[in-house]
Amino acid sequence: MSQAEGGVVTSAFILLFYLVFYGFLTAMFTLTMWVMLQTVSDHTPKYQDRLTTPGLMIRPKTENLDVIVNVSDTESWDQHVQKLNKFLEPYNDSIQAQKNDVCRPGRYYEQPDNGVLNYPKRACQFNRTQLGDCSGIGDPTHYGYSTGQPCVFIKMNRVINFYAGANQSMNVTCVGKRDEDAENLGHFVMFPANGSIDLMYFPYYGKKFHVNYTQPLVAVKFLNVTPNVEVNVECRINAANIATDDERDKFAGRVAFKLRINKT
Amino acid sequence: MVKKTLEIYSVELSGTKDIDQTDKGDGKEKYRGLKNCFEPKKNHQKEELKKELDLDDHKLSIKELEKKYGTNIITGLSSTQAAELLAQNGPNALTPPKETPEIIKFLKQMVGGFSILLWIGAILCWIAYGIQYSMNKSSSLDNAYLGCVLALVVILTGIFAYYQEAKSTNIMATFNKMIPQQALVIRDSEKKTIPAEQLVVGDIVEIKGGDRIPADIRLLSVQGCKVDNSSLTGESEPQARSSEFTHDNALETKNIGFYSTTCLEVSTSPVGTATGMVINTGDRTIIGQIASLASGVGNEKTPIAIEIEHFVHIVGGVAISIGILFFIIAVSLKYHVLDSIIFLIGIIVANVPEGLLATVTVTLSLTAKRMAKKNCLVKNLEAVETLGSTSIICSDKTGTLTQNRMTVAHLWFDNQIFIADTSEDHSNQVFDQSSGTWASLSKIITLCNRAEFRPGQESVPIMKRVVVGDASETALLKFSEVILGDVMEIRKRNHKVAEIPFNSTNKFQLSIHKTDDPNDKRFLLVMKGAPERILEKCSTIMVNGQEQPLDKSTAEAFHTAYMELGGLGERVLGFCHLYLPADEFPESYSFDVDTMNFPTSNLCFVGLLSMIDPPRSTVPDAVTKCRSAGIKVIMVTGDHPITAKAIAKSVGIISANSETVEDIAKRLHIAVEQVNKRDAKAAVVTGTELKDMSPEQLDELLTNYSEIVFARTSPQQKLIIVEGCQRQNAVVAVTGDGVNDSPALKKADIGIAMGIAGSDAAKNAADMVLLDDNFASIVTGVEEGRLIFDNLKKTIAYTLTKNIAELCPFLIYIIVGLPLPIGTITILFIDLGTDIIPSIALAYEKAESDIMNRKPRHKKKDRLVNQQLAIYSYLHIGLMQAVGAFVVYFTVYAQEGFKPSILADLRVEWENGIVNDLEDSYGQQWTWYQRKYLEWTGYTAFFVGIMVQQIADVLIRKTRRNSIFQQGLFRNKVIWLGIASQIIIALILSYGLGSVTALNFTMLRPQYWFVAVPYAILIWVYDEVRKLFIRLYPGSWWDKNMYY
Repeated sequence: MSQAEGGVVTSAFILLFYLVFYGFLTAMFTLTMWVMLQTVSDHTPKYQDRLTTPGLMIRPKTENLDVIVNVSDTESWDQHVQKLNKFLEPYNDSIQAQKNDVCRPGRYYEQPDNGVLNYPKRACQFNRTQLGDCSGIGDPTHYGYSTGQPCVFIKMNRVINFYAGANQSMNVTCVGKRDEDAENLGHFVMFPANGSIDLMYFPYYGKKFHVNYTQPLVAVKFLNVTPNVEVNVECRINAANIATDDERDKFAGRVAFKLRINKT
Repeated sequence: MVKKTLEIYSVELSGTKDIDQTDKGDGKEKYRGLKNCFEPKKNHQKEELKKELDLDDHKLSIKELEKKYGTNIITGLSSTQAAELLAQNGPNALTPPKETPEIIKFLKQMVGGFSILLWIGAILCWIAYGIQYSMNKSSSLDNAYLGCVLALVVILTGIFAYYQEAKSTNIMATFNKMIPQQALVIRDSEKKTIPAEQLVVGDIVEIKGGDRIPADIRLLSVQGCKVDNSSLTGESEPQARSSEFTHDNALETKNIGFYSTTCLEVSTSPVGTATGMVINTGDRTIIGQIASLASGVGNEKTPIAIEIEHFVHIVGGVAISIGILFFIIAVSLKYHVLDSIIFLIGIIVANVPEGLLATVTVTLSLTAKRMAKKNCLVKNLEAVETLGSTSIICSDKTGTLTQNRMTVAHLWFDNQIFIADTSEDHSNQVFDQSSGTWASLSKIITLCNRAEFRPGQESVPIMKRVVVGDASETALLKFSEVILGDVMEIRKRNHKVAEIPFNSTNKFQLSIHKTDDPNDKRFLLVMKGAPERILEKCSTIMVNGQEQPLDKSTAEAFHTAYMELGGLGERVLGFCHLYLPADEFPESYSFDVDTMNFPTSNLCFVGLLSMIDPPRSTVPDAVTKCRSAGIKVIMVTGDHPITAKAIAKSVGIISANSETVEDIAKRLHIAVEQVNKRDAKAAVVTGTELKDMSPEQLDELLTNYSEIVFARTSPQQKLIIVEGCQRQNAVVAVTGDGVNDSPALKKADIGIAMGIAGSDAAKNAADMVLLDDNFASIVTGVEEGRLIFDNLKKTIAYTLTKNIAELCPFLIYIIVGLPLPIGTITILFIDLGTDIIPSIALAYEKAESDIMNRKPRHKKKDRLVNQQLAIYSYLHIGLMQAVGAFVVYFTVYAQEGFKPSILADLRVEWENGIVNDLEDSYGQQWTWYQRKYLEWTGYTAFFVGIMVQQIADVLIRKTRRNSIFQQGLFRNKVIWLGIASQIIIALILSYGLGSVTALNFTMLRPQYWFVAVPYAILIWVYDEVRKLFIRLYPGSWWDKNMYY
């Protein structure tokens, strides 16, 4: 065997070796990942320790969470309106009536499996009309954006098997962050009244089995925000089992956003 | 040849005249040699040397000297004069070689090796922060903070390495300052003892026997003074000194004593001291000038420094090329430039083994400490390894290979040669001592001897006692003390009535004693001296205690014995005696040594005794070990070729069955020229022969002969020999003690100075100091050096492995868009936290096989970090680790709600602080902080995954070829300490500091600690299989590609 041939043979051996070696490594990875995934169930995560306090979020979702409305400039708020239209579409009464149940308010809508493993769960209706002036149905003011009285929607993050409120009623409240913010904020109205969230929307059973789950919303309509100033608004949920004072997580049980109405 | 020996070795005792002759003969040559070897150096240095040659103080009369130096030989200088001169000329001490300023050393540590890469990383961090800040004033400080951490890492590791270096240099410094020298000086008409450093030109100093001469002095009044100039000229014979001007050359004249040479003895009458005037101090002394010239010889980079540089280049190259490649990929994947810079930082941090250089320093200093315990003091940490790669040792003879003291080796009496014990403690003299001849011989040895023990040494072992007297007499004194007991007492009982000391015309020494036998009133005349001169004076010979006439056959026997002993390179003495008839020499007889009123012929010959500076008992074994370790041992000595050859043979430098060209010629009875040079393995080359050789001839000599002895060489020729060896691509170790050795010590890859016999200049030039002057210590040094090279390989392989596991997350993060699996800070905690102690622990690993049975590593071929090591660490074990750590990471995410399928491409949303309702695989929504916390848990999980697999890694790195079980799992306990430290540090980081968010660690569920265990086991099994195949199929493609 010549030296060149020897080199070729060695290279072939090495190539083969790496094929086998990496093939084996891939198989080993696949195997261990498969074994690991066996420990994870389809309907509930194994651990939820990070989600003891659900976060709050606003709609429209904007960059830097600031809702800026130039009343005269349609374009400045049109994208918000588009987003909201889309966001609220599943809440249309017709869709809700078609897919979801009418539940009894004031109590959790528990649906135990009753022996049937992973029995599909029903969801309670949250009708768009419950949002009153902020429902945007037949609303020429476009959720108030065209008149400088914008609606901001607040929702609480979904957490599987979380009994929000611990069987007591809960509601969302909003305040100006500092004193001057409170002054500039002016009056606002909330839908549903008092910004309350009903217990019937809990618990959540996970997207796989709770297919049509409709997240409850609270709409806040700011009626007379002082124009041309930035107002820091903070909304939080008042519920027995939701802490809102986590120093590190600024969105645990609360949400802060900026509101600015520019009028000329 | 043998005839010549006889001539030389028949010159005995104070054979000053002959030494003078040799001195005159080649003294000039010697100096020229010295000049020659400095010729290529800078011109002004040569000028200095010339100026020194113009020294003419030895030609001046005492009056002229007094005038020149403004002094008086009776009253000395005044204190004020001395103080002025001291201020003017500086202290009388050699300026130590210019040390790199501490700050430079420190800064070097800051920018050397990987530090540059980390600085780049830090600066990129600050740039990234700057960009962020300019875009958004409230941007997070993360990047600025990371930049500071990186800078801190560089500074801390720099400080650490600097501290380690400084600590090992300190050992040396304290060692240097151990013995402050004192000098007895006359100032203000008073004798004062002052530190030798304060001597100034013009001082009148007094010197006793045994003192080191404190400066260059012109001798004013002296009797029977001898100095040891070996450190200056390499001449090991004592040289006489007097106050007369005897030679134009300052180096040759007798009336100059040189700084740092030793005054061996001064005749006790009339004053017992020599007086001299200081004519040069400090660096202006001859020795000072030579020492400063030595610093002109460049210091070459140590092999390990070259290896580490090579390794840094490899790793740095990988880091930079991957970094730039992924920077380009990131930019072309439409990432922001800012993000791409941050990826680049991550890649650099992941690739650079931050802790490794500190680890290497610690490892080296651990070995240095271990070697110091075995009497090898390492001055330069990197020299630790150099000894291990040494392929040629040029060793001194005297003191290194030999005990550096004359010792009685053979006796001849009763027509028989007896062997005396020459071991270090003379413990068992087993020759037959029952003969009457021995009784007589021992009496002569004891009585005809002027050497005496210094008083007050009763508790000191005989061989270690200090003796006043020359080397041969010392040997005889100790020899007789060991066998007969209290010699001084015997001498007292046999009162000496007359004495003729040795002189070179007589070539004998004689004394007459009353005997200790009360019934015998006869005087005993004892005589020793050059054997043929003694024999001439004898008419009878003592055999078995009986006097017999000296006939032709006994004379022949004498000659045979004399030849034989001379041929062994030994110094032979003859002994005879005569009982003076009581009637002619009554008790009251007055002996007169000048008129010689007693017989000095027709004496009774008693025996011969031969002496040699015997090899140290540990040396033959050490030489054999060097041989089997593939190291060529070359003897370079100023001694006579016959002695050199004899010692070389007895220690195995010339092995028992190899012959020189001369040996072959003698055996075959042909002329030397007719011998086929290829038949000879050994060669004895004298300095004169060497002088006539061209470099090519020297190269040929060095390659063709495996056993070489250079005899009668000047220390300057040592430099030529060293350069010759280095031309063979060898790593050369040189031992030396003299000032003139210092250029060779510097030139050598590793210069080894003798701790006891060595001059300060030699110690300064050397990289290593042998505290016990023992050649065997070099062998331990070689062993340690080789071991550390092997172990450094293991340490580096261990450290490099996890780099891939740290790097992959970044690459996958960039390409696939997973949430970042491991953060930069976390990587630093692995590199500088959990990994440090295990990687140091590998330095304690025992050798896998007999490292002293393999060839020295090839400077250019056997690299510290070779392709196999890099590939095996990066692409085999490193990848397994990465996969294992990813499994832990995926487990944590999946069990919290993010299944692997959803993670891909999640990066942008995941990291967006505005998105506080990110959906997981179950429809749950996460705020930014909740996700961030999960991300940190992911970091911790990945960290733990790597840590667990690094435990397997450190275990497999214990061996490169053998199974771990062959090596013994528990033999290196430090490894387990390292593993424990890994686990404990990880536990503290996760559970103790889990709440400190800045560190990005979280409390990890206990079960996640075990997820990577299958991979750890896989790593271990895989490596065992690798080693098994290497052992089973040596030389196969597997062996070639998998053995690092």
